[in-house]
Amino acid sequence: MTSGPTSGQRTEQIFPCPPHVYNELQTAAGHFRSHWHRFLQIFRSVPPQELARRHRQAERMLRENGVSYHSVVSGGEGARPWRLDLLPMLMGAPEWGILERGLAQRARLLNELIADIYGPRRLVQQGILPAPLLYANPEFLRPFMDLHRPGGMPLFLYAAELARRTDGQWCVMADRSEAPAGPGFALENRIVSSRAMPGGFKQIPVERLAPFFVRLQNSLRRRSSRPLEQPRTVLLSSGPSHPYYFEDVYLARYLGYTMVEGGDLTVRADNVYMKTLSGLVPVDIILSRCAESGLDPLELGSNSEHGVPGILNAMRCGNVTIVNTPGCGITGAPVFMSCLPRLCEHLLGEDLQLPSIPTWWCGNPEDLALVLDRLPELVLKPAFQKSGGEEILCSELSATERSDWQRRLQREPWFWVAQEKIARSGTPVWTESGIRCGHVALRAFLVEDEQRWHLMPGGLIRIAPDAGPMQLSVAGGDSSKDLWVLAEGRVEAVTLLTPHDQPAELRRTTALFPSRVADNLFWLGRALDRCDFLARLVRALAERLAGEGGAEAAEVRFLTRALCEQGQLEPGFAVEGMDSQLPELAETLPAAVFDPAEYGGLARSVRDLTRLASLVRDWISPDTWQRVNAAAESFRATPARDWRDLADVVSATSGLIGDCASISGLIADGMNRGPSWRFLELGRSIERAASTARLLMTADLRKAAGSPVLKTLIEVLDVRMTYRFRYRENLQRNAVLDLAITDETNPRSLAFQVERLVQHVDRLPGISSQPLRSADMRLVMEAAHAVRMLTADDLSSGPLRNVLAALKTVEDAMLKLSDTLTSRYLVHSGNAVHAMPGREGV
Amino acid sequence: MRYRVTHRTTYSGADPVSVGHNQAWLEFRECDRQQVQSFSLQITPEPSVKTRRVDAFGNPVHMFSFSEGYQRLEVAAVTVVAVQADNSAAIAAATGTTREQLQTRTSRQDPWLAEAQEFVWPSPRVVWTRDIEAWAAECFPADRPLLAGLQELTARINAEFTYDAGATTVHTPVQQAFQLKRGVCQDFAHLQLAMLRSLGIPARYISGYLRTIPPPGRPRLVGADASHAWLSAYVGNGHWLELDPTNNQMCLSDHIVLAWGRDYSDVPPVTGVFVGGGGHRLAVSVDVLPLDP
Repeated sequence: MTSGPTSGQRTEQIFPCPPHVYNELQTAAGHFRSHWHRFLQIFRSVPPQELARRHRQAERMLRENGVSYHSVVSGGEGARPWRLDLLPMLMGAPEWGILERGLAQRARLLNELIADIYGPRRLVQQGILPAPLLYANPEFLRPFMDLHRPGGMPLFLYAAELARRTDGQWCVMADRSEAPAGPGFALENRIVSSRAMPGGFKQIPVERLAPFFVRLQNSLRRRSSRPLEQPRTVLLSSGPSHPYYFEDVYLARYLGYTMVEGGDLTVRADNVYMKTLSGLVPVDIILSRCAESGLDPLELGSNSEHGVPGILNAMRCGNVTIVNTPGCGITGAPVFMSCLPRLCEHLLGEDLQLPSIPTWWCGNPEDLALVLDRLPELVLKPAFQKSGGEEILCSELSATERSDWQRRLQREPWFWVAQEKIARSGTPVWTESGIRCGHVALRAFLVEDEQRWHLMPGGLIRIAPDAGPMQLSVAGGDSSKDLWVLAEGRVEAVTLLTPHDQPAELRRTTALFPSRVADNLFWLGRALDRCDFLARLVRALAERLAGEGGAEAAEVRFLTRALCEQGQLEPGFAVEGMDSQLPELAETLPAAVFDPAEYGGLARSVRDLTRLASLVRDWISPDTWQRVNAAAESFRATPARDWRDLADVVSATSGLIGDCASISGLIADGMNRGPSWRFLELGRSIERAASTARLLMTADLRKAAGSPVLKTLIEVLDVRMTYRFRYRENLQRNAVLDLAITDETNPRSLAFQVERLVQHVDRLPGISSQPLRSADMRLVMEAAHAVRMLTADDLSSGPLRNVLAALKTVEDAMLKLSDTLTSRYLVHSGNAVHAMPGREGV
Repeated sequence: MRYRVTHRTTYSGADPVSVGHNQAWLEFRECDRQQVQSFSLQITPEPSVKTRRVDAFGNPVHMFSFSEGYQRLEVAAVTVVAVQADNSAAIAAATGTTREQLQTRTSRQDPWLAEAQEFVWPSPRVVWTRDIEAWAAECFPADRPLLAGLQELTARINAEFTYDAGATTVHTPVQQAFQLKRGVCQDFAHLQLAMLRSLGIPARYISGYLRTIPPPGRPRLVGADASHAWLSAYVGNGHWLELDPTNNQMCLSDHIVLAWGRDYSDVPPVTGVFVGGGGHRLAVSVDVLPLDP
C-alpha cells in the first residue's frame, strides 16, 4: 500500500480489484466506503516492516497453537496449517443488521422445514415440497422420524455460507445445518489477530465474539431433557482422524465440555453413559460435531467410529438431548434452495429476505428446460449431497462433454441442481510482497436461544485467489481472515467465566475422565521415556563411532547389542566378531535413527509421541503440547538422506534429550496430580524400569567387570555427576550397580521407579476398595520386593546371581503390569459387531 | 384362513456378549388383508429394557437391549393371524391402467400417488443399471395394461432365474444376482423391485411367510418353513398388487404379510449390534401352522 494520501481521495487504488466484482473497500467512483475510514487512517501510520513482523508473529502463534485443518494422527505430517491474513475484513453496523435479520429468518425457516420433514410431512402431502426431495434423497433417514417433538426446535446451531455478488447483494451459497464447523476457527482467528494487530487498532469499536458462546452455553443448558442445575454435557468428536479435530478440542476446552468419541459413550437401558475410570457416568446433553448418518450403528446400519449403538432410542425415550437434532442435516442439500422462497411464504407468511444463489432443480420440468438452455453459464451439483463436494463448472466443459451432461440431466433430472456461477467480492489481502486482491467467502453462525436466533457478530472469512466457485468448506480458499463488525456505541466485555459473586463448588478431581484418555496418557508416558532412553543410547553409540578410534570395542559392542534389543538396529549387528562391521554400522545408524519405517526406531517413537500427545490435547497443557510439537519438528528437520551423518545423529539426539527434559519439567511443574497425571507417570515409570533392567542385563556384568562398559552405563543412565561426586574416577561395578538399581535417592534407579509405581498403583481408582491386593498391586510389589531384598554382597558377588534374578523379575513384572493396566482401564469394551441378520429363505 | 406362525431366532457364541442392542420386525402389521388375533414375543434371557415403536412405514418394531452378559439369545415370536386376502380391486385397477397413464397422473387425479412415490426411488438394497431397465421394459410395450406387464415380468423372472441358496448371501447386490441369474426369494424380490422402479412403477418390499403344502402322503414338518419375501406394485388409486416372483403368483391367503418397506434393509426380522462375544452362530426356525382345516 502506498503511503501518504488521505482516505476519500478519488484516484488511489489500494489493491488490484478486478472491475467485474464488488469492491469491499472502495466504491466504483474510488471513494473509500465509510466503515473503512478509521481503519485506513491507523493502517497508514504503521510502517510496512512492522506489519511484516506482526504477520510473522501471527503465523508463529498459529503454528505453536497447532491450529490445523486435517488429520493429526499422522503426527503432524499431512496436516494443513491454518493461514490467517493480518488484515481483517470490516463490516458496518447497518449492513450487518440487514444480514442479521435475513439470516435469522432463514434459520427460522429451515427449523420449520426440518420439523415438518421429520414430523407430519404436510409439505409433501400438500404438494408444496416435491415428494422426490425427500423420497429420492438418500439423506432422508427415516429412523430420525420420531425423534422430533411437535413444536420443538430441532435446529440449534446453524451456519450459512455467504458470498457477495457483483451488485453488492449478499447471497447464501450453502446452508449448514448438520454440525456446522468453523465457530472455533473464527474465535481463534479473532484471538490471534487481536494479539498481532498493532495497538492503535484497539480504538476501533469491534463487536466481541464471546457473548455468542455464552448464549450457546445457556441455550444448550436449557435444552437438557432433565431438569438439572448442571446437566452433564459432552462434545462428541469424530476423533483425531477427522479434519475438524483441532476445532473439536478447541471448542470443548473453550466451552468447558468434556470431549468424547463414540467409543467413550455407551447406552445401557436407554440411557447414555460415559465410560470413565470410576465407572459409568450419565450424560444429559451431547453437542455433536459428527455426521448424523453415523450416530447409531444399530438403526442407521453404519459402522462409523463415532457411532454409539442404541443412542437414538435413548433420545426417543427422552433420556438424552443431542444437538443439532439428528435429521437437521438434510437441509444442507442444495436442492432445498430452489424452493425456499415458496416455503418461506407458506411456512412463515413472509417474503424471503436474504436470497440464495439462484438454484434450479432439474426434477422440475420448467427448471430443466431453463437449465438445458443456459447450461454453459451454470454450475451443476448433485441435488441431495451437502454442497461442497462434487460440482461441475459447465463453462469449462467441451462441447461433447456438455451434450453428455445434457443427456444425463434428461435421463436423471431429479438428482441434479444447477446454480448461477458466482463472482465473489474482492478485498485487500496483505502479503510480504504487497497488497493483493482476495475473493471473499463468509461463513456466519447462528444459535437458537429462547425461540430467537442470534448471529455471531463476526464470522469466518475465507479468501480465494479467484472470484468463481470455491470449496464451500472451512478449509476452502488459501487463507482466512477475521471479520470485524463495527459496533455502534460501547462494546461490553464478556467472558465465559462465571461472575465473581458466585463461589464455585470446590473440587479436587474431575469425574469425567474417559478411560480412553487414561490409556492414551499411559502410552504417552511410555513414548516420552522411550524417546529419552533411545536418544541416550543412540547418542552414546554415535559419539563413539564418530570418535577417531577412541572408543573401545567392548563399549560399541554393548551399545550395539542394546540398540538391537530395542529394535533400533538390525539384529545382525549384535553377533560376535562385529568389529569388522564398524564402518557399515556408522553408515547405517543415521538412516536407522531418522527413518520412521524402522519399527522400534527413534523416529517412530518421536512420531508416537506427537500422535499420542495430539490424542490427549485437551488433557495436557498448551505449553506441553507446543513443546512436543517443537521437539518433533526439530527432530524431523534433519538433513536429507544423502547428507546426514553421525554428527547429525549426535546433534538431533542431544536436542531430543533436552526437549524430553523440558516436557518432563512442564509435566512435573504444571500438571495437576489427578488421574491424568497418574496414568502418564505410570507409563513413564514402567518404561523406565523395564528398559533399565533390560540394559543392565544386556551389559552382561559378570564378564564385563572392566571399566568401558561401566562408563557407558553411567552415561546412558544419566548418573555421571552423582557417581563422580561419590567415587571420583574410581569405577567399581558394585558402586555402579548400587546407583543404577538399589539407590532409592537416585531418580534414575530401579528402586526409585518401582517405589513410585507402588504408590501410583495404590491410588488407582477402584484399587483401595478391594479386600485383597489386585493383580496390578501384586506385580509392582513383586518387583519392589526383588529390588529391596538385594544386599551389598549381592552387588559385589562374582556371578551376580541374585542381581540378575532381580532384574529379570522387574522386567517381567513391568511387561505384565502394562498388560493388566491396559486390559483393566482401556479394554472397557470391545468393538461393536453387527449381528448377521438372517436372510429370507424361501 | 387362520395360521399360527412361530418365528424363532437363536444367536449363540463361544464367548459371552457383554452389551447388546437389537431391533426386531417380528410383529405383524395390521392391514386390510389380515387381522392379528394374538401375538407374543418371548426373549430369553430377559432384556434389561424393551420398547415398542412404529417405524416410518407403519410397521411395529421391538427394540430390546442387554446390559448383563449372555451367551445365548433366543427371540421367539408367536402370532395367530387370520388372512382373507382379496386382490380383485387391485387386479381391476391394473387392468384399466397402462404404465404411461400411471406415470403421467398427478396427485390431484390420484390422491394416493404422493404416498406411493416414496417407493419409486433407489433404496439401499435396490439400485439398478440400464441393462436391468432394458430387460424389464420388454414386458411393458406401449398401451399394454399394467396387469399383463406385471404378470409377464413375474413369470419371466421365475422362468429365467434359478432358485439357488448357495449362489447368494444376505448381502448380495441386485446387479450381481441379475448377472448370476440365481438367488433366493429376497434376491428375486429385490430384482423385480429394481425393474419396476426403473420403469417408474412404485413398488415395495414385503417380508412375511408362505403357507407350505407338504408333498402328497407326507406329514407337515414342524419348523421346516422359512420366512419369505415378495413385493407389491402400485397400480393406481391406492391399490397395490402383490406379486411373488419366486413362485410366479399373485399373492392371496397363502401369503402372510409381516412388514413392508423399500427393501430388506428397512425390515430385517431381527438385527443387532453387540459388544464382545465371538464365533456367533445364528439359527432360524419358522413354523407356519394352518389352524383351519
